[in-house]
Amino acid sequence: MFLHYKFVLILRALWFLAQIALFGLIVNRMVKEEVQVVTGGNYFYFYAAGIVVTLLYSMTVFIGYDIYEEADHGVTEYLLSLPVSRRELVLGRAIGGGLRSFLYVAPLMFVVLLLIGITDPFRILIALTALFLFAFGVAGMSITLAMSIKSHDRFDILLGVLNAFIVRLSTTMYPVAFMPPQYAAMAQFNPLTFAADIFRWGAGLEAVLLTSPFVSVFGIVVFFSVFTFLGIVFYEKRLEGGGWR
Amino acid sequence: MAIIRTFDLTKKFGEFTAVDHLNLSIEEGEIFGLLGPNGAGKTTTLLMLTTVIKPTEGTAYVGEYDITKEPDKARRLVGMAFQEPKLMWVMTPWDVLNWHAKVCGLSSSERKQRVKWALTELGLWEDRHKSVHTFSGGMRKRVEVAKILIQRPKIAIVDEPTTQIDIVGKHRIWNMIRALRDEGSTIILATNELYEADILSDRVAIMHRGKLLVCDSPKKLKDSIVGGDLIELVLEKEAAENTVEELKKIEKVVDVLAIKPNHLRIYLNHAEEVLPQITELFMKARLPIRSIRMSEPSLDDVFAHYTGLTIEEAEKQ
Ligand SMILES: Nc1ncnc2c1ncn2[C@@H]1O[C@H](COP(=O)(O)OP(=O)(O)O)[C@@H](O)[C@H]1O
Ligand SMILES: [Mg+2]
Repeated sequence: MFLHYKFVLILRALWFLAQIALFGLIVNRMVKEEVQVVTGGNYFYFYAAGIVVTLLYSMTVFIGYDIYEEADHGVTEYLLSLPVSRRELVLGRAIGGGLRSFLYVAPLMFVVLLLIGITDPFRILIALTALFLFAFGVAGMSITLAMSIKSHDRFDILLGVLNAFIVRLSTTMYPVAFMPPQYAAMAQFNPLTFAADIFRWGAGLEAVLLTSPFVSVFGIVVFFSVFTFLGIVFYEKRLEGGGWR
Repeated sequence: MAIIRTFDLTKKFGEFTAVDHLNLSIEEGEIFGLLGPNGAGKTTTLLMLTTVIKPTEGTAYVGEYDITKEPDKARRLVGMAFQEPKLMWVMTPWDVLNWHAKVCGLSSSERKQRVKWALTELGLWEDRHKSVHTFSGGMRKRVEVAKILIQRPKIAIVDEPTTQIDIVGKHRIWNMIRALRDEGSTIILATNELYEADILSDRVAIMHRGKLLVCDSPKKLKDSIVGGDLIELVLEKEAAENTVEELKKIEKVVDVLAIKPNHLRIYLNHAEEVLPQITELFMKARLPIRSIRMSEPSLDDVFAHYTGLTIEEAEKQ
């Protein structure tokens, strides 16, 4: 299982490298002056900050696969027999899963922060705290989905599709100024937008952000709360009926 | 005082009834055996008591809590060592047990001390940092049982704790289960091993096909079998129907069970006085006896008395 994770970790780091050192740099040479302006003077930094948030998202979503693996190994029964309430169990899972991926991605976040240049440590602290909560929320969401979908394959496909939309309908890769209005309207409710915006704000990028930092933090807190709650409800419903088999 | 009471506890999987209107009462501080062949519904019953699955019908009280109404509270009184060891994402026995102890709320000093004690007692200390994936079935089973010995819950449930474990290991685990009881835990032991249920339990409930057959102390159960003695006869050929009938007519013979066509189990009183009569009967019927054994009834005979089957036969079905 840990081996499994190491493997994922190394591949993800390579993916990150390709995104930054290849895609990011090349696209940066293509973009015109007007793009550089709305992204705070440097599209490359804007992009690097976005891609690190994407990475945090995709690493955290991984916890859903653990749920299936546990069910396959019968570990679900063990977890349910432990002397803790269902709420503590789900919260523990979401926090544990969020913390794990946050720690994995943290070194890359620092690389990006160093790249951009650290200006205001206080802002960075706020941004990192918000990203921390964001990771809990994503873990809660992944657990909820894993609980509500019986088939491992379907979960896999759904995550793929969800990934395509949630990443592309956010400000992780491009500034809102270039989005068609309908897309921008949807992007402003996307947790990935909140997370990418707050990270850029924390890093001191003068980019044109879709939301204010307060809205971002608020959005992340709402996202986190809703999915933790849903996670608990689904755990209760599905598992106590023995429906995980 | 009863620490667990079940009221028509029932679990259905689709149309199939795995546990069928079970009514049990388990006393605080006793070792309560749940004996039955594979598929009798033991594990399903235990999973309901630990609130892992919900009953389809009926309920149970664990302590003062109704498992269907206050599962979070009921769960806190119970700890379970599973039939199939549950050891995944943490890899070494040391990690598995420390994690378990931590979730169960043991302080870090208690944790260290108890984990070390359990690993040592169960002969796993040397292997504590090896991956459980390299372990044999018996070793994994010992890690699973260690969880409960470390946790010391008010109600400790052990589901077939000694399968795949050698006889020395079995005795060690039995002693540890007794010690756990002496420290104040109530023990529920599910098993399909007659000897284990007999020597360990204060009281035994015998289950078959989801139903409770009978529940009492092993001694009373065995005494309840009519005829205090037992003769096992293996014949060279199959016994004819009328030979069995004639056997039943002998005074002091209470019952005859044909385990196989050439293997009879005779329940009777004063076996030593009747034995000559029995051998004579077979000689007359020209049925040579291959072997003869006198013994006392076991819990298997109690099971057979209610079902007409030995536990081994019931498992084959
Ligand atoms: N989740 C399940 N779905 C369907 N059938 C089940 C399930 N769990 C157990 N059973 C069936 O219920 C019966 C009782 O099983 P179990 O409680 O494991 O018996 P025991 O522990 O006495 O061997 C068996 O026939 C088993 O196949
Ligand atoms: Mg079982």
